[in-house]
Amino acid sequence: MSLSPQGVAQPPMRRGPIRSTQNFAGGLFLLALAALALYLARNLPQGSLRSMGPAMLPDWLAYGVGACGFALVVMSLLRDGEALAKSSLRGPVVVLLAILAFAMTIRPFSLGAMGLPGLGMVVAGPLAIIIGGYATPDVRLRPLLILALSLTPFCMVLFGDLLNLPIPIFPQSFANLFPASWSQKEILRATAVVMAIAALALFLTGRRRPSNRIDVVDHSGTM
Amino acid sequence: MGDLFSNLNHGFSIALTFQNLGLAFLGCLVGTLVGVLPGVGPIATIAMLLPITFGLEPVGALIMLAGIYYGAQYGGSTTAILVNIPGEATSVVTTLDGHQMARQGRAGVALGIAAIGSFFAGTVATVVIAALGAPLTRLALIFGPAEYFSLMVMGLVFAVVLARGSILKAIAMIVLGVLLSTVGTDLETGQERLTFGLPFLSDGIDFAVLAMGIFGVAEILRNLDHTETRNVVQQAIGRLLPNREDFRQSWRPVLRGTTIGAILGILPGNGAVLGPFASYTMEKKLAKDPSRFGRGAIEGVAGPEAANNAGAQTSFIPLLTLGIPPNAVMALMVGAMTIHGIVPGPQVMTRNPDLFWGMIASMWIGNLMLLIINLPLVGVWVRLLKVPYHLMFPAILMFCCIGIYSINSLPTDVMFIGLFGIVGYILIKFGFEPAPLLLGFVLGKLLEENLRRALILSRGSLDTFIERPISAALLAVAAVLLVLALLPSIRKGRDEVFVE
Repeated sequence: MSLSPQGVAQPPMRRGPIRSTQNFAGGLFLLALAALALYLARNLPQGSLRSMGPAMLPDWLAYGVGACGFALVVMSLLRDGEALAKSSLRGPVVVLLAILAFAMTIRPFSLGAMGLPGLGMVVAGPLAIIIGGYATPDVRLRPLLILALSLTPFCMVLFGDLLNLPIPIFPQSFANLFPASWSQKEILRATAVVMAIAALALFLTGRRRPSNRIDVVDHSGTM
Repeated sequence: MGDLFSNLNHGFSIALTFQNLGLAFLGCLVGTLVGVLPGVGPIATIAMLLPITFGLEPVGALIMLAGIYYGAQYGGSTTAILVNIPGEATSVVTTLDGHQMARQGRAGVALGIAAIGSFFAGTVATVVIAALGAPLTRLALIFGPAEYFSLMVMGLVFAVVLARGSILKAIAMIVLGVLLSTVGTDLETGQERLTFGLPFLSDGIDFAVLAMGIFGVAEILRNLDHTETRNVVQQAIGRLLPNREDFRQSWRPVLRGTTIGAILGILPGNGAVLGPFASYTMEKKLAKDPSRFGRGAIEGVAGPEAANNAGAQTSFIPLLTLGIPPNAVMALMVGAMTIHGIVPGPQVMTRNPDLFWGMIASMWIGNLMLLIINLPLVGVWVRLLKVPYHLMFPAILMFCCIGIYSINSLPTDVMFIGLFGIVGYILIKFGFEPAPLLLGFVLGKLLEENLRRALILSRGSLDTFIERPISAALLAVAAVLLVLALLPSIRKGRDEVFVE
């Protein structure tokens, strides 16, 4: 039924009255969300059915979510169910870091006293790939570098050059290094070519181990 | 009838322009690619590619996005058959008999019948959309807010019944989705709701951000827990064209699969996912010798493959005629249409006939292209599977970041896909399926709008939903379905369908 690798209904090794830690935790999570929504909507008028106020529907829905959460908690005490699968924090933390790194470097960013200049896609893209790559234990830096140095110029050309989307590509200080007669697009293309060549060089100098064994995703729920 | 042909003719004249042909081809190609690669689905892909369509004409943009969706249905079956990995949720059933056929050296025949069955289903579905478009549009015009509200409630109930796993959890996800849709400025009073006082939340949560967080980032996190090493060996594929005996065995399943898939696809609430399961169960029940199933029965490939493609296409019907997206992919289509200033709904057909008929015609052309892309290029697609996941996910991650940033140029959007990714991952860990949440979110705004409007019209009386006959009928269907789904005996049957 579930996609959990641990399988259904593990042999009882429970201590205490909770018979399904997964349902118990899920129920508590829903109760917390419902409480949060009710707290946030506490000062808004309910209105009447005839002219509904802004808080009426959110309140009803929050009660609905809370009721589901309560039912789950009760069920977890009465019926056996799945246990909460163990998982490492490495994946979520590292992926979140990679996303934050991208968001903070793509354009000028300031948080209180701390500020970062906008570095553009030329820095943000490789940062996201290389930091993100460390989310899995079997990480190797070299293939990640090759990937970063080949995908980033591809995206730069696709989004910045061909599609003309207003996404920052490189910092202004970087553009100043080039002769003044160069247009932004020319600088973009030159940078992309240099990165692609670097990727190719890394690829060619690396040793290649022929192997048929690769890691694939084992699941069936991709939407 | 004459109207139908002149309309389709008009559609083909638009779909056959050089640019639109090219875009349909590109869409089908990208669709096949994401279909083949497990771990990347059409939802995240379409969300990533939304900004690319900014510069296109609306017809071309939607033709391309639609191509990605049904192209993914084709691609998913290729990997299901050859390497026993379903590329998409809808091709899970195909692994059962398709991969067994491949082991017996009949991979080519399995691929061939899957493609031919899908093409047939796609052709029928195209005609169904064209034929049902006009009458349903007329029906939609007599719908008032009360009817719309009841129809959406019915759709959400369908989504609960069709979701995998616990019904209680599915209900919780739908309600939570609707709750999330209420975040932002209240349309009637202008007051901010549930925004934490943050200015970028006052417009509400952006659908693309939520979808990319839950289906892009959370999927990556889920997959990181589930990767394993596997042998991906090149197999001999064998002849591709099924012989007369194969056709004799499979034409009836294809017909039945197409019918089931097309009907389930129309239902609001993501019926398309159920099509292949229903078709497989039916073929197994009808077969003289059910024990052949699971050991390489060609009927077990032909029926479900036809069903998934038919369902994928008919799910455009509620969107194009009623303006109600029946699943998350269609919700992204709403996004794409709104970007180009088109309001989905019954008026699309009259105000944008080029878009409506051009898109329908392009679906048939796209199916023809997919037949051509898929069969001879099978070897190329299988080689793609050799890309290891530890290199694939950083790439997906970067594409998500760039894609979401370029929609609104807001770094906060990028951070929010991280936040929703984590929330989605927690929900998955707790055994909740994220798909109903997204559907609830998608329908939430429309639901609230129509509820309020209906109550204003009825001066605050809830009876209006029962007094109006169409609305009452829709709600009755919803109630009956919910009760049936909760009955223990039927619940068992439902679980069995999903377990198989």
